[in-house]
Amino acid sequence: MPLADALSFFPGLATAAAEPAEDAAALRRLAEWCGRYSPWTAPDGIDGVKIEITGSAHLWGGEEALAADLMARLDRRHLTTSIAIADTLGAAWATARFAEASRLPVILPPGDCRAALAPLPVEALRLDPATTQGLRRVGLKRVGDLAAMPRDALARRFGETVTRRLDQAQGDLPEPLSPLGEAPTRRVRLSFAEPIADPANLLRATERLVEDLVPRLAQEGTGARRLDLGFHRVDGRVERIRLGTARPSRDPRHLAALFKERLDTVDPGLGIEDVILAAFAVEPLPPEQIELPHPNPPRLAGEGREGAGERGGDIAPLLDRLGNRLGLAAVSRFEPCESHIPERASVHVPISIAPAKVGAQRQSAPVPGSLDPRLCGDGEIQPPRPVRLFDPPEQVEAFWLLPDDPPFRFAWRRRRHRVTRADGPERIAEEWWQLEGSSAVDAIRDYYRVEDEEGRRFWLFRTGLHGHDRSPHWFVHGVFS
Amino acid sequence: MIEQRARLPELRERIRRIEQPTAAVHGVLPFGVAAIDRVLPGGGLARGALHEILGMGGDEEDGAVAAGFAAGILGRLTGAGNGGTVLWCLPRPDLYGPGLAGHGLDPARLVLVQAPRDSEILWAMEEGLRAPGIAAVVGEVGTLTAVASRRLQLAAERSGITAFLLRRWRDSGQAARERNLPDAAVTRWRIAASPSQPPPIPSPARGGGVGWGSGVGCPRWRVELLRCRGAEPACWEVEKANATGFVSLASALADRPAAPVPAERFRRAG
Repeated sequence: MPLADALSFFPGLATAAAEPAEDAAALRRLAEWCGRYSPWTAPDGIDGVKIEITGSAHLWGGEEALAADLMARLDRRHLTTSIAIADTLGAAWATARFAEASRLPVILPPGDCRAALAPLPVEALRLDPATTQGLRRVGLKRVGDLAAMPRDALARRFGETVTRRLDQAQGDLPEPLSPLGEAPTRRVRLSFAEPIADPANLLRATERLVEDLVPRLAQEGTGARRLDLGFHRVDGRVERIRLGTARPSRDPRHLAALFKERLDTVDPGLGIEDVILAAFAVEPLPPEQIELPHPNPPRLAGEGREGAGERGGDIAPLLDRLGNRLGLAAVSRFEPCESHIPERASVHVPISIAPAKVGAQRQSAPVPGSLDPRLCGDGEIQPPRPVRLFDPPEQVEAFWLLPDDPPFRFAWRRRRHRVTRADGPERIAEEWWQLEGSSAVDAIRDYYRVEDEEGRRFWLFRTGLHGHDRSPHWFVHGVFS
Repeated sequence: MIEQRARLPELRERIRRIEQPTAAVHGVLPFGVAAIDRVLPGGGLARGALHEILGMGGDEEDGAVAAGFAAGILGRLTGAGNGGTVLWCLPRPDLYGPGLAGHGLDPARLVLVQAPRDSEILWAMEEGLRAPGIAAVVGEVGTLTAVASRRLQLAAERSGITAFLLRRWRDSGQAARERNLPDAAVTRWRIAASPSQPPPIPSPARGGGVGWGSGVGCPRWRVELLRCRGAEPACWEVEKANATGFVSLASALADRPAAPVPAERFRRAG
């Protein structure tokens, strides 16, 4: 009915603009809030929320208690609800929407839900309107009517969907629920009778949750890589702290300290009634000896050449603190690569990428020249490399005489340099197997090491050819110390 | 009587500790060049202290020479079985591993922390100075307050981790403003590149023409000790002798050639 018609029938009608996007967002928030009952929640259509409570109902003292708690809380927020718990998603959906109107939650006893479904109308099967209309036209009005029909005839006449929905509702076909977010591997929850808002209490709750989670991880021999601490506010919003660790960890002090640094970003609003800590990515972490706190840590005399990789265990807490404030990508290490293109010979790799693989790679394929430029595999002297390398190289204005000469003067970063000494050229060409590289402007570079009057040493290269459509250009690629 | 005599060195050590707290508590790292070590209190660079390294001219912005000087020291600090990780905090990812390896610092020992702001770099340095397993912390910092440098110095003293501040400025204006401000670092160095001597064998590639007769020789630096607690300012002309990061007095100025280097120091990194 158009709005104008409705207003003509009933002039005092209160109207509100439809806001589907807002409604969907609100429903999503509600589904997220329902995460206090189970991690497996998702919004359903435009007016429903599905919660998979298998295995979590006992935490609330049974299904009845859970449903009562849910209804009471939603009532407090002035939401009209219709709650149903059943063996299958289809049966719960049907019961919640089409069972006899009662304000109380409907709980179908476990076991056969065919009997409960039989008296419901065919609309309860989550079919599109055209199909239900067709079913009604031939006199199939109740779910029970359908169940009595030969299945292949039904499928031929009304499509596979009808039999599939029927089977799903009756539990003959599985119907997995895809949760709103990623389902966590481990999850611990702390609920409060009285909402809390004091920062000290939040910290205490966080510490308790971490202490709760850690034994479970220890039992499984795993450590957390990604954690999510959700603060469920009284008003239904969820404040989250998401953490990543550079290496799997289950050190309660360390994890609590990481959360503590971010606790001030949590706005408790009118109070927080639930705190849920979930570990998402876990990785194997073998049990280790528990260290006694040392008053002044000894200088660690580590042998070996692995450096960061080998003593990662010691500095992992530091890396996590740095990574969680500056971003895990900001903490990196050098990784030598087998390439003679200078900017590819040594790349920055975020520290969070598993070091074991890298270590093995490094051992199996030592890259001559990229680590120690003076010594190559066969004792050949490699040319020196700069301490600073600019990526991309910076173009300079240069003057030179003969085609193969280094420049005698160049200007870079608003400074002029007069070249007094030069070494070169060292020709570095694009690797021939790089297909896309062959067309690059700087596919062939002639490198010169030049020294200016002050004694500063630069790494210049020229690219392009004389008398070619790509005329030569000069770039500063690095600065020597 | 014998007992009393044995106690004498111990008492001397205690007095020395009272006189020069930082150098004596955590020991020193000698440069291996007698002329430099003679000047520094304790005979080397104090461990567990904050050292500041400045560039000169255009290098105040690029920070290449200062990084090379620091890499040489760090190579000796972490090399030869000492181990440890070096935390290097920098605003731009322009540090180049193979270049550092040329100064004797194994790039695999480095953990790089990139942060755009000075305050974040100082924070990361301070965190690093509290962590066991870290051998040294390096930070490339532009603006530095006296309080921030004091905090770093205290953190270094407490943990025994050596800290290096590489001063790197945006432009010459900022450099002029910041260059002479006092801070709490134990030593302040200024390293400037100076023209190299042509190598003994002239480079055959570029003969004749417009004066490209000789190639670039061994890198030379003018190392100035601008300030040091318990020592006089001094200045040396040094030449980077080899890939191990040892520096030696430039042969033209010193009365002996480059310091001899044991062969096993040519260690393949990685």
